[in-house]
Amino acid sequence: MSARPVSPAPGTDPGDSPRSLITRHAPVDRVFHWITALAVLLLMASAFLPILGLKFSWVPLHWITGVVLTAAVLFHTIQSTFFRRLKCMLPRPRDLRDLAQKKLAAKYTLPQKLMHAVLGSAVLLATATGLVMLAKVDTPFWKRDPYLLDASTWGIVYVLHGAAALVILTLTMAHIYFSLLPEKRAYLRAMIGGQMTREEAAMYHDPTRWSGQRKDDPRENGK
Amino acid sequence: MEFFRITRNAWGQETLEGISWDLLPVAFGLGLAIIIGHFIWRLIRKRAPDGGQPPPAS
Repeated sequence: MSARPVSPAPGTDPGDSPRSLITRHAPVDRVFHWITALAVLLLMASAFLPILGLKFSWVPLHWITGVVLTAAVLFHTIQSTFFRRLKCMLPRPRDLRDLAQKKLAAKYTLPQKLMHAVLGSAVLLATATGLVMLAKVDTPFWKRDPYLLDASTWGIVYVLHGAAALVILTLTMAHIYFSLLPEKRAYLRAMIGGQMTREEAAMYHDPTRWSGQRKDDPRENGK
Repeated sequence: MEFFRITRNAWGQETLEGISWDLLPVAFGLGLAIIIGHFIWRLIRKRAPDGGQPPPAS
């Protein structure tokens, strides 16, 4: 998608105006993000509220939402591994050097990459162990088989699932807080509408390393 | 504070049940600490001479 001018100055290229909009997130990425966000919030509510004393039939909500999250994560993993530049999202030594030298980032800043790496790993661990734990739930599709694993192995699976859930709780709180900060509001708007202005992008991102253009631009995902 | 939930089966053997839910307030508190810590750091940074401006474009 090309840049869309907001209020171009007369005689200038509208696409290069600081106020012109550039695409940060494709619709498919935004849909994935909000499905994941809703699923994670529902999973945390159905997991933690009963522990805090709010009694309700949490298991159906938890496993169905878990399956939805697993499908979304699987889709995102395949899409970002085979159809996107995975490297642009992975924390690299260069990011540390850039941070030390106070250089602007490419598409993603180091804190964004670290948040994605740790939160993504915790979600992957929670979904992987959650899939195994589905064997203990009666569903319309299968009967429960609690003897799939021995008791001590089930214990390990539950510990990993619980530990991942606690990490997700901590990081989700931090993620929501950072997204609501006034100076980061452009990222939240971009995650809703897909776009931010060149001016906003230039606050944290080097335009020579991430231009925000999508079609026919090798830098689309950042150098 | 317990780190794990452990029960005893009918033969008196200890069985690992999962992570202890004593850690739930710890995880919540850690999230709160990150938020409050960053908020304070942000206030201090705003009062710094450069006003906490992001680095110039290279």
